[in-house]
Amino acid sequence: MFSLYKKEVQSYFLSPFAYVVSALFLMVFSLFFINGISDMNSNVLKFSFSNIFYNNFFYFIFMIPLLTMRTFAEERKSHTETLWLSAPISIAQVVIAKYLAVVTVFLLMLVLTLFFPLVAWWHGSVIVPSMLCGYLGFFLWGLVCIAIGMMMSALTDNPILAAVLGEGAMIVVIFLDNFTKTALVQSMPAVAKVFEWFSTEQRFGVFSQGLFSLSDLVFFLSLSAVVLVWTVIIIEKRRWSRG
Amino acid sequence: MVEIKNLTKYYGSHPAVLDISFTVGDHEVLGFLGPNGAGKSTTMNMITGCLPATSGTVLVDGYDIAKDPMEVKRRIGYLPELPPVYPDMRVRDYLNFAAGLKRVPRGERKKQVEDAMERLKITDVQRRIIGNLSKGYRQRVGFAMALLGSPKFLILDEPTVGLDPTQVIEVRHLIQDLSRDHTIIFSTHILAEVTAVCERVVIINKGQIRAVDTIANIEASVSGDLRLKMKVEGEIMKVTNIIKGTQGVQEIEEVEYDSVGVNSFTVRVASDDVRKPLMSALLAEDCMVLEIASEKASLEEAFVKLTAPTAKQSSAEAFEALGREMDAAREAEEAAAAEESRSDADAAGEPKKTEQAAESAGAPAQKSGRGKQKKGGKH
Repeated sequence: MFSLYKKEVQSYFLSPFAYVVSALFLMVFSLFFINGISDMNSNVLKFSFSNIFYNNFFYFIFMIPLLTMRTFAEERKSHTETLWLSAPISIAQVVIAKYLAVVTVFLLMLVLTLFFPLVAWWHGSVIVPSMLCGYLGFFLWGLVCIAIGMMMSALTDNPILAAVLGEGAMIVVIFLDNFTKTALVQSMPAVAKVFEWFSTEQRFGVFSQGLFSLSDLVFFLSLSAVVLVWTVIIIEKRRWSRG
Repeated sequence: MVEIKNLTKYYGSHPAVLDISFTVGDHEVLGFLGPNGAGKSTTMNMITGCLPATSGTVLVDGYDIAKDPMEVKRRIGYLPELPPVYPDMRVRDYLNFAAGLKRVPRGERKKQVEDAMERLKITDVQRRIIGNLSKGYRQRVGFAMALLGSPKFLILDEPTVGLDPTQVIEVRHLIQDLSRDHTIIFSTHILAEVTAVCERVVIINKGQIRAVDTIANIEASVSGDLRLKMKVEGEIMKVTNIIKGTQGVQEIEEVEYDSVGVNSFTVRVASDDVRKPLMSALLAEDCMVLEIASEKASLEEAFVKLTAPTAKQSSAEAFEALGREMDAAREAEEAAAAEESRSDADAAGEPKKTEQAAESAGAPAQKSGRGKQKKGGKH
């Protein structure tokens, strides 16, 4: 399993892919950072990063699918999946190894953005708990998105299609909250309630305010786990109907 | 030992593999023969656990692929039809990665990878990116991957596809070499390969087994009899009658027009001894034998027969029918000539048959016509 993880992480950094995606991410991040700084009025001396994350995760919708689109679709297309299908490794292990590899890349991208709090701290001051919780919330949200992106990649053998499907799925997940607030859904309290259970944005909001909520942490982790289990099932199912 | 019992795979309602059973003993090289789309790859995918079977079992060293996939996969090295290589990796990195995936202990990895590269003669390309390699090299990288972890069983799906003739021979030698410590099942549709490498073959077509036996037995079973191929100059009917009249001749299987007045006959005979009386009989009647050769059934023929039994049968039947019609036509002709004066009532029963026979005998009649033409030219 470790060799698969290692190979996956390497494959991101052997091609210009990871560099380009992280550069794009950092560019967007810095734009919002500059925007946030210039928006501050003179009374505010402390800078919280949660706002940046709020704006950023819309971009994040388009970046996570770029990272996950190749995970399974490409292997299916180039017939390399027989390598791990015939190796003494279970599909669950493959999914976990690949998942951890994407998470590692994502984590590295986040670590790179620590440059901005450092700059802010250097020239002013940063609300540390709010920033840390903002980072944590952002990371947890990323975990769910990566799992969804991988599931979409397992559904098809076309990486581009996997990216588009992933974007679609993530837009649904993000805007579920907005959709829940519409009059139509609110008129049906039972439906609104169910939608609220799965709303991720609200839970991210809790983190961004500098609060740490165990129940939301569990929510993000368990949702990722459920999606990963689905991914395993999808691959198993495809193995049966392949031909 | 690999035991395959009643293995079946359906894709939807279409059976790709239907009720296949055979066993492969230790240190055996088994050839898996079949035309394209016969179910070779599907069977191999099922043996290696890449594809679950609809029903039936695969036991590898007593472990069931459905129940103990890990144990089975540890014992198998699989080279699929399309080598599963990552185009963006370097050869050596790829093999290191595959070794890790196959749970080769860390300390042994380097040695195993180097051995495999040595065996497949890819050491000189180890630093190159697989995507830039030619098809033949990629195939060899895939082969090297299959050898990692020194699996007891090697399953090779068309290992020589895409290789140039020298490489094909190298791979054959490699398979022979490997058969000392591995059990090998390999599929191919190139028959020369099988004869060169295997002791035993499984012939499969349309998902069903046609034969499981040694090459010698299959060749013998398909046709235990001998054939003579002879080129004879002379009038076709006369030659046919002489051949048929010789003792030991079982059947004329095929008559082919060769050149003016010369026809090739494929004759099924009981033994080689028929050659002498046949030759002297022909020569006595002034028919010149230009060529004669005895021919044994080859694996190729067996393959053709076994994989297309219905087509072959029908053509044989058609030929027999043609022969009968030719005889009928001749009889009718003779009868018509001798008994021209007979009453119309008698002939009324015959014309239908005569017509039919004449029609079907059209081609041979033409041939004999040409024969006559040549004779005429000579005189």
